[in-house]
Amino acid sequence: MTVLQLDRISKSFGALAASSDISLTVLSGEIHALIGPNGAGKTTLIQQIYGALTPDTGTISLNGEDITSLSVPARVRKGIGRSFQISNVLMQFSVLENAIIAEQARQGNSFNMFWPAFEDASVRAGAEAILDRLGLLPRAYQQTSALAHGERRMLELALALAVSPSLLLLDEPMAGAGIDESQHITQIIDQLRGKMGILLIEHDMDAVFKLADRISVLVEGRIIAVGTPDEISQNHEVKTAYLGEDS
Amino acid sequence: MFTAISNVLMIVLSGIRAHKMFWVVIAGFGIFPIFTQIADLPFWNDLAMRIMLLSIAAMGLNLVLGYGGMVSFGHAAFIGIGAYCVGISQYYGLMNGWIHLLFSLLACASIGLVIGILALRTSGIYFIMITLGFAQMLFFLFVSLEGFGGDDGMSIDRAEFGFIDLYEPLRLYFLIWVLLVLVGLLMMVIVRSRFGVTLQAIKSNEARIEAMGLVPLHYKLVSYLLSAMICGVAGTLFASWQEYVSPDIMHWTRSGELMIIIILGGLGTLVGPVIGAIAFLLLEEFLPLLLEMILPDYAENWMILFGPLLVLIVLFGRGGLVGLAQRAMASVRGGRQ
Repeated sequence: MTVLQLDRISKSFGALAASSDISLTVLSGEIHALIGPNGAGKTTLIQQIYGALTPDTGTISLNGEDITSLSVPARVRKGIGRSFQISNVLMQFSVLENAIIAEQARQGNSFNMFWPAFEDASVRAGAEAILDRLGLLPRAYQQTSALAHGERRMLELALALAVSPSLLLLDEPMAGAGIDESQHITQIIDQLRGKMGILLIEHDMDAVFKLADRISVLVEGRIIAVGTPDEISQNHEVKTAYLGEDS
Repeated sequence: MFTAISNVLMIVLSGIRAHKMFWVVIAGFGIFPIFTQIADLPFWNDLAMRIMLLSIAAMGLNLVLGYGGMVSFGHAAFIGIGAYCVGISQYYGLMNGWIHLLFSLLACASIGLVIGILALRTSGIYFIMITLGFAQMLFFLFVSLEGFGGDDGMSIDRAEFGFIDLYEPLRLYFLIWVLLVLVGLLMMVIVRSRFGVTLQAIKSNEARIEAMGLVPLHYKLVSYLLSAMICGVAGTLFASWQEYVSPDIMHWTRSGELMIIIILGGLGTLVGPVIGAIAFLLLEEFLPLLLEMILPDYAENWMILFGPLLVLIVLFGRGGLVGLAQRAMASVRGGRQ
């Protein structure tokens, strides 16, 4: 089953071709890593999948449905979850409140002007489940701004998962994390395998080769290789373009 | 039916419990006339009415400015529209105050919708400028309407609210007070609701709200409409209180005044706009008198003191007067332990 299908996506900014004729699939249940040197166009590509940028040409389909012209919130409701490169959580709220706001958005009744948001048992139960999944329940009443960096990354991931996505976009989930935290995050992502399609952008090659079922290599806006971690590490073109001769 | 009523009661009571300070202040306005009657100081009732009217308008703006993070610099326009709904209705012989209120709600909602849709495409400084721009357009529109008094405005009668005769001073006082209570209840329920919390989350981080599948613009627009309508209600009563409407009521300095009141009191708190209005109008009223006693030669330049005082409170009282009070209480409590 294909969750995400990119069909010949191109996007340029003036003379700079950030994405050239990119085709890519993410299967349901697989972890698909997207790697490439800085400036290769990884974030531009993820922004097009997410809906923050529109491709110049080509189509994007999610679960067989063309979503190329949909807005970000519409794509999210179709099943795209996203974690950002820089932690993007609701800083003025507690951890539990973050999850409650996400849970009521998922239930689709955030427009209710009458019912108190933080006193609803059914929403609270759902929110606690969101936190529990990533071991954040003990931190529920902590102010988000007081969380350690790694915990904030966890909350970010929890919020991305709160929309019950069929496709999860992870933009450098290990960025800024220490070694222990990286291992913890790797473990968490590993546990998500099989539950949804995951497109992972990451610079930490240990994590990528440990996690990925398939890897696509993006260089100067083009996909130069797709394959299993073994195939990619043996690929001569990838070695010269990105991984370096010695790896 | 019974569960619906008990739900409403529960929501209101839990809200009141969470915002005791606010309701103490509101109740204070309710019993204030007892003292002025005993002491025979009708002027104070008049001042209290002005404070309550500005509180209602500031509470409306606070939904957008404090809770939604949208710096609207044109909300006086909606006060003006509310006031002119009274003036223009009376010009055509419609004296019923409830109809004035209905007109001003409709007018503010529709004009707010147009301004909101256009202005909310922008943010930051552009939003400030575009809201100011629309307010100025409306200001000059009313200046140019010679039929309704143009620059000079028009004298009006106090509206007729059925059995409530507004020429009986205390009846106008309590009509304003009841509307203050109703707007207060509305604001309290909204800011605690799912909608209100989502609005505050949008202020905190719009990108994350989009990533939850919600469209921030919808929430901002609805809150903008609500705040415009609340300011319209304040304007409607303002007209009856003044017995006079002129474009002055929607001058841009009044939009600034509303913003100062909210920031002075405490941005994004329920009680902030009310405390801000009390402090602002008391200062405006008594700073000149105080100066008259100390430095009679300079009394007419009282604004030289007023301005810096506001700047100091805004700079050093993070969270305005409400923030100052909270920190003071916290340190008293801490000191005891």
